Amino acid sequence: MGATKAMTDTVVDVENLSLHYFTSKGAVRAVDGVSFSLARGETLGVVGESGCGKTTMGLALLNIPSPPGRIVGGRILIAGTDIVPMSEKEIRQTVRWQKISMVFQGAMNCLTPVFTVGQQMRETIQTHKPMPRAQAEAVIARYLGLVGLPAEVARRYPHELSGGMKQRVVIATALFLEPRVVILDEPTTALDVIVQAQIINVIKTLKREMDLSLIFITHDLATEAEVADRILVMYAGKVAEIAANEQVFDRQPCHPYTKRLLAATPRLHEKVSELAFIPGTPPDLLDPPAGCRFHPRCPEAFDRCAREEPPLVEIEPGHLAACWRCINA
Amino acid sequence: MRGENLSYWLKDFWSEFRKNTSGLVGLAFLGLFAAAAIFEPLLIPFAETNRKWRDITYWDDNPKSAPPAWTNWFASRKSAVSTVLRASETTEERSDGVRLVRHSFAYAFSYDRPPLDIIVHFKGSGNIPLIVGVQRPDGAELELFREQATVNDGEDVRIPLGKAAKSAVFDFAKGYEPEEATADIDIGQIRSVNVLFARAQEGMLARPEPLRGRYTFTLTVMLLDEASRIDEPRVVISGGVSGILGTDNSKRDLWSGMIAGVKWALLIGLLTAFVAVALGVVYGIVSAYFGGWVDAVMQRVFEIFVNMPLLPILIVMSAVFRPSIWFMILMMSAFFWVGPVKTVRAIALQIKEETYIEASRALGAGSARIIFRHMVPLLVPYSFASMALYVPGAVVYEATVSLLGLGDARIVTWGQLLRDALGGGAVLNGLWWWVVPPGISIALMGMTFAFIGFAMDKILHPKLRTR
Amino acid sequence: MFRRYLIKRILNGIFIYVVLIFLYSLLFNTTNEKTMKDQIEESIRVEASKLKNFTSDQVQKHILERRAFKYRIYHLDRPFFERVIWRTIDTLVFRFGNSTNILSARGDREVLRIVLEVMPRTILLFTTGILFEVGLGIWLGLKMAQKAGGPLDRTTSVMTMIVEGMPTWWLGMLMIMLFAYLVPIFPSGGMHRLPPPHGVLRIVDLLYHMALPLITLVFINTWAVAFLTRNIVLGILQEDYIMAARARGLPERRVLFGHTMRTAAPPITTIALLSLLASVFGNIVFEGIYSWPGMGNLYWVAVQRNDLPVLMGLLSVTTGLYVAGLVALDLIYGLLDPRIKVGGRA
Repeated sequence: MGATKAMTDTVVDVENLSLHYFTSKGAVRAVDGVSFSLARGETLGVVGESGCGKTTMGLALLNIPSPPGRIVGGRILIAGTDIVPMSEKEIRQTVRWQKISMVFQGAMNCLTPVFTVGQQMRETIQTHKPMPRAQAEAVIARYLGLVGLPAEVARRYPHELSGGMKQRVVIATALFLEPRVVILDEPTTALDVIVQAQIINVIKTLKREMDLSLIFITHDLATEAEVADRILVMYAGKVAEIAANEQVFDRQPCHPYTKRLLAATPRLHEKVSELAFIPGTPPDLLDPPAGCRFHPRCPEAFDRCAREEPPLVEIEPGHLAACWRCINA
Repeated sequence: MRGENLSYWLKDFWSEFRKNTSGLVGLAFLGLFAAAAIFEPLLIPFAETNRKWRDITYWDDNPKSAPPAWTNWFASRKSAVSTVLRASETTEERSDGVRLVRHSFAYAFSYDRPPLDIIVHFKGSGNIPLIVGVQRPDGAELELFREQATVNDGEDVRIPLGKAAKSAVFDFAKGYEPEEATADIDIGQIRSVNVLFARAQEGMLARPEPLRGRYTFTLTVMLLDEASRIDEPRVVISGGVSGILGTDNSKRDLWSGMIAGVKWALLIGLLTAFVAVALGVVYGIVSAYFGGWVDAVMQRVFEIFVNMPLLPILIVMSAVFRPSIWFMILMMSAFFWVGPVKTVRAIALQIKEETYIEASRALGAGSARIIFRHMVPLLVPYSFASMALYVPGAVVYEATVSLLGLGDARIVTWGQLLRDALGGGAVLNGLWWWVVPPGISIALMGMTFAFIGFAMDKILHPKLRTR
Repeated sequence: MFRRYLIKRILNGIFIYVVLIFLYSLLFNTTNEKTMKDQIEESIRVEASKLKNFTSDQVQKHILERRAFKYRIYHLDRPFFERVIWRTIDTLVFRFGNSTNILSARGDREVLRIVLEVMPRTILLFTTGILFEVGLGIWLGLKMAQKAGGPLDRTTSVMTMIVEGMPTWWLGMLMIMLFAYLVPIFPSGGMHRLPPPHGVLRIVDLLYHMALPLITLVFINTWAVAFLTRNIVLGILQEDYIMAARARGLPERRVLFGHTMRTAAPPITTIALLSLLASVFGNIVFEGIYSWPGMGNLYWVAVQRNDLPVLMGLLSVTTGLYVAGLVALDLIYGLLDPRIKVGGRA
């Protein structure tokens, strides 16, 4: 387990994080020993199938209580401070939203339907930084402008806004305390393609202007290709591979899972004779398979894969993989 | 859901249901109720309760408004328990074609309070001279009553000793009382049974002290010819306490009434719930399936029904039309059906969008087939859960209507028991054994189906589960 | 936007009320007419007995004329459907006619007056009850949802189910037996002591008489409201926007009361009030047990005395109140839920 400090300033450092859901049937190991780091000004793209644990990990980074889930091990260092042992009150008052914030799929269901957008934004601001109403409204107006929305949107209820507008509101809300790190969880998934492109542009612009570090979670590889500097591939609650954007998309990734993911994404400029897919289903996280979790579905598996779980190892500078084939090569 | 699928689903469902304590409790109670209804003839001491509930003569031997027998446990002064004595010994003598038959009835009296009445019964025919006598524990033998009875074919003869033995008892007591005392006493005021069971001593007329021990009552009859006969001789002891649940002010045994009411409660509840849910489910599916103006019209009709205040309408309709219980069930179903419609329609709308429905239609399946073969089975689990939840309502509504006196007088329901209780002053006189059991049974039946219904609902709507 | 919704809903309510009254008139036509005819005969007979200096033939003729006249003005000589329509109209304008034998406080027999006299007392009792039931119920339900699965939650859920099938009036009977006879703390019925006291004491006396029925009502109904609140709140707590609110760093108190409860308010209020509305009309006979002189008690009396006009009048007024209640609920829901108040665009 080695985290490469490729750039000078690390804003987020995750070491061996594990989060389990304790259900009546047993512990579901949603996130199991995940390690990575996020450098300042970087966009880390987290990809994986549904249920691989990426959203859970995102929530864990804010240490949001989501019973019956609980962090059972590891460290999360946000700007050098480990937030795992902090009390809920402390996190809420010092870390959450101020140092690190999160953008959910706003188009869906992430604004309370009975309050106006402005009321909710104002509430968030005033909780963290008490200020008179007029000042708060000025801040709101400014950030709404930054995401390309007119100030009067603040007077609307969530159901009155389109998906794209809601997503922008959610982005604005995540930013106005000027955090260092923003986690974006499937911010464009529920939107149509044109609006998707607009939102991506907004995100890119803001990142540049506000010097943000982003963790961009999605299952859509095409979007990742566009926004991410580095890609982190998750599978069954563990990290499969971490590599630079070019490594994955222009050159060749190493982990068989990543390769299959890429193969399953049709390209516009290539002939597609047959749609590739990954046979089998993701493992049951209550009782994951022994050894490498991907081995039952892996075309390149050999006997060591079924016995021993491969550690995440740096196989090239800036390129980590958890695969016996890659490690041996 | 075809056969094998169904049994698999049932097993799965049962293993979930088993985990739910309250559901199991509900099921247990349901079993109890069902058993009570099925084994009713075995459980009730008064076999003709159902037919003769309103017939006062059937209940004549019981004490009026008597608490249950087991209250003696808690009483400082124990009352005699009502019971029926069968002949312990029968002797017969013949002479000249005349038979002298003597039936003896042994009675162990160990209470603080004597019985309220002693009634000698037999069925017979012919001209029958008879004598009723008693042998007391202190050895005294009295002739209580004699008569030349003319009995028609198999008629039941009833001799209440409280009245019949007055003079005999008075004469007996006079032997122990001083002259002056007895002169003032009005024979009509004597409670002969109290005196009969009293210690033979001075003051036994005014302040009788109970004499405990073995009393033997005898019924001696003379059968003058072969045609004369007596059958089923028995002595009914009408005591201060009676039965498992006591009696009401019309002397009816309440335990019998209660058990008789079980089957009606079950029937009313289940039948109403079934018809209502069946109607509602079909209505919801049809409305969703056809959509368009059919849906719009059906929804309007639905709205009208929803706006009706159910109980007042039931009351007025019952007051005006005096319906039978079946009609009442029908009326209730006619209002209850609105319950499931909204949810069923929502679910049906979703199912309608499924591709296999479209496929069916493309294959040429008619609407009826699609509805009944594809949509209804999917809603069966939900329907079952809802059904359980409508039963308590139906039972309570019928009870309420009966409470007002508008129920079907030909049957015995718990609601009617409560009506009689209210009218008979049970509340104001503290006759708790009359008020509590029927109400508790209604509540228990409601609780049973609520438990079952909620347990099923929990399984079918996982979102409400507490993780 | 909301005003349009309001008008539409009210008009709909009125329409439904009219349809229902029509249906009642249809259903009960025969019985109603029989009562009417009986009353006409009675009034004619009374008139005829007061006639002086008429021969018997003249009296007969007079009776026939009067009868024909009355039949005409009450439209009893018209075909069936027309008669039903006339009855409907009569009921709609609150011309309920006269009772068969029940008298109002003033001694007259006008059904409308009789019903209106008793209405406020019912409203007093049940509205107070509803206030307590909603208040206690919501508070309890919230507590249950906060510690879902805990001991409080489980016991109250069990209580809800136990009470589900319990007739309110039976509990009333028990309460009277317990607290008015066994341990006589409360009066066994009625609304006032006789003769009723004056001034402040009058109010105290009223409260004293209201206590036992109120306790009975509140006991039965609070559990259902609590259970409902618990379920709705639990459902909302699982919504994404609640998690998002927490993610934004809002204090838990605010998340619970501000966001959760405010979103829960529309469904809770409406469903709670709806079930309470249903329980009012389903429990109306409960008044009779306590001899509380309201509408429920009037149902009792009317049934006992077989006074059909009063029953009809009661039914119409009850239906009217019920429909109005439902309309009011819809409007309250619309006010509380901005999705309806402001309307959607997305």
